[in-house]
Amino acid sequence: MSTSVEQRTGAARRGPGSGEVAVFRNVSKQFGAVTAVNDISLTLHPGETVAFLGPNGAGKSTSIDMLLGLRDPSSGSVTLFGGTPRQAILDGRVGVMLQSGGLMPDVKVRELVAFACKIHPRGYRADQVLETAGITEIADRKVDKLSGGQEQRVRFALATAGDSDLIVLDEPTTGMDVNARQAFWAVMRAQADAGRTVLFATHYLEEADSFADRVLVMHKGRLIADGTSAEIKARAGLRRISFDVHPQDGADLSLLNRLPDVTTLDVSGHTVRISSNDADATVAAIYRAGLYPRGLEVTGVGLEQAFVAITADQDAADLNAAHLNAAQQTAAQQTAELGKENAR
Amino acid sequence: MTTLIKLELLRVLRNRRYLVFTLILPVILYSVMVGAYGKVDTLDGVSVKEYFMVAMATLGTVSASMTSNASRIALERKSGWARQLRLTALPGYGYVVAKIASTAASTLPAILVVFALAYGQGVRLSASEWVLLGLTLWAGGFVFAALGVALGYSAAPDSIQPVIMIVYTVMLILGGTYGQIGGSFGSFAKWTPMALYNQFGRVAQSGSSIGAGPMLAVLGYALAFIGLAAFLYQRDRRES
Repeated sequence: MSTSVEQRTGAARRGPGSGEVAVFRNVSKQFGAVTAVNDISLTLHPGETVAFLGPNGAGKSTSIDMLLGLRDPSSGSVTLFGGTPRQAILDGRVGVMLQSGGLMPDVKVRELVAFACKIHPRGYRADQVLETAGITEIADRKVDKLSGGQEQRVRFALATAGDSDLIVLDEPTTGMDVNARQAFWAVMRAQADAGRTVLFATHYLEEADSFADRVLVMHKGRLIADGTSAEIKARAGLRRISFDVHPQDGADLSLLNRLPDVTTLDVSGHTVRISSNDADATVAAIYRAGLYPRGLEVTGVGLEQAFVAITADQDAADLNAAHLNAAQQTAAQQTAELGKENAR
Repeated sequence: MTTLIKLELLRVLRNRRYLVFTLILPVILYSVMVGAYGKVDTLDGVSVKEYFMVAMATLGTVSASMTSNASRIALERKSGWARQLRLTALPGYGYVVAKIASTAASTLPAILVVFALAYGQGVRLSASEWVLLGLTLWAGGFVFAALGVALGYSAAPDSIQPVIMIVYTVMLILGGTYGQIGGSFGSFAKWTPMALYNQFGRVAQSGSSIGAGPMLAVLGYALAFIGLAAFLYQRDRRES
């Protein structure tokens, strides 16, 4: 009876009319004076594997809470599978692994997983779920007697106890060692290959880089980037160009200042290092300028550096805006004071 | 939902705290109290052995339904398990219903143990009186289970333990669990929940009738505790 359910393929899930998994429309969330999430709009599509990145306090967990209906947005709307998050969860369409998802104490792993399978409207067999999560050997242990990594795998088993269409994981590999992490992602990849939509928040950028086909970056409550990890790296402007210039080539180094798409330029001795938003254009311009670069190298950078660059850009923009605001205020004050003095 | 009730019951029965506070403590206290009141013939119209049989059965029931329940809810709010359950297809009220149902099932042994002990001490009732008394005590447990749920959601999980202990201890003392309270203070104390619970037990046992006042009071407490539990539970769901 459960086999027919398990045989649902990715194609069936992705089929026409399957619609949108989740839609955030202008969602904000305030806690008192603090804005945790600031006007986010995004859509998750069926079959996507989406990484959710951002430093601590960026608003990821709050966004996930709103996605799951654990918190209501202060403004804007969240829909999950076309309805309310609560309804989607009652229909068993979402499997969730929370960062701080406690486990029921005083019971055995097998009992807890069997419970999760049973309450899921399209639950799998407990044996099979234990097997997939790699916890068959610890099935008879008490839940309270597990290591951190084992607990994470039990949480994962609870999230995959039934045939859900969306799997949400909040920092799933925290507390796992490298081997456990790799094993975990192998299992997750199988889930994604079965056509499930997967959304995971993580601090490990290499996980996002190697596993996600879409990356969302949150910073200070705002969604500041949304694209493939390649796009994000490109958006961060980060291709590095480096080469040497020999004096006998008679180069005019001042030409370097006029190269297009350059974000940083560093000349030390004969070595030139450039970061470029568009390495192709920059390199073409180097040759057009009549320079003769030797040992030219163009390298990409990791998502990590891109991430740092994007969030730093955002901070700089915020700071400028703040300065501008402050300057305007000061100006307004001065005008007002001047007005007062004139009146006297 | 029945799966959750079964699982909750299994946990309760496995828990050492349940064994100590619900089964062993009433038995020990019964022996101590009957010994201490050895010279006195009757308390509140019944024999000392009968008085403490009811008092200890209610003690076991209340510790199972109130303190264990409340502290477990507090712990599970803290650990995030209550939150995790909200992300399953289980209906929202499922968690609380399972808690109350498993508690009610776990109070029966507490009542039966004290009955057996009292029988061994020479307390004799007719079959219908035993059944009526057992059912009255058991039904009363639901009222305290509701109070337990309310207490479990009454404060931040970290600071809840003292709240539980204070409410529990004060209720037991005022309720006459450690002996009857006399004087003008006693006339106030007899309207506290635990005192009413004990009074109902003694009435069920002696077969006499109970006044409209205590009836209304019990009904009032039941409604108040259930309302409070529902309110605090909803508040917690909105906040966390």
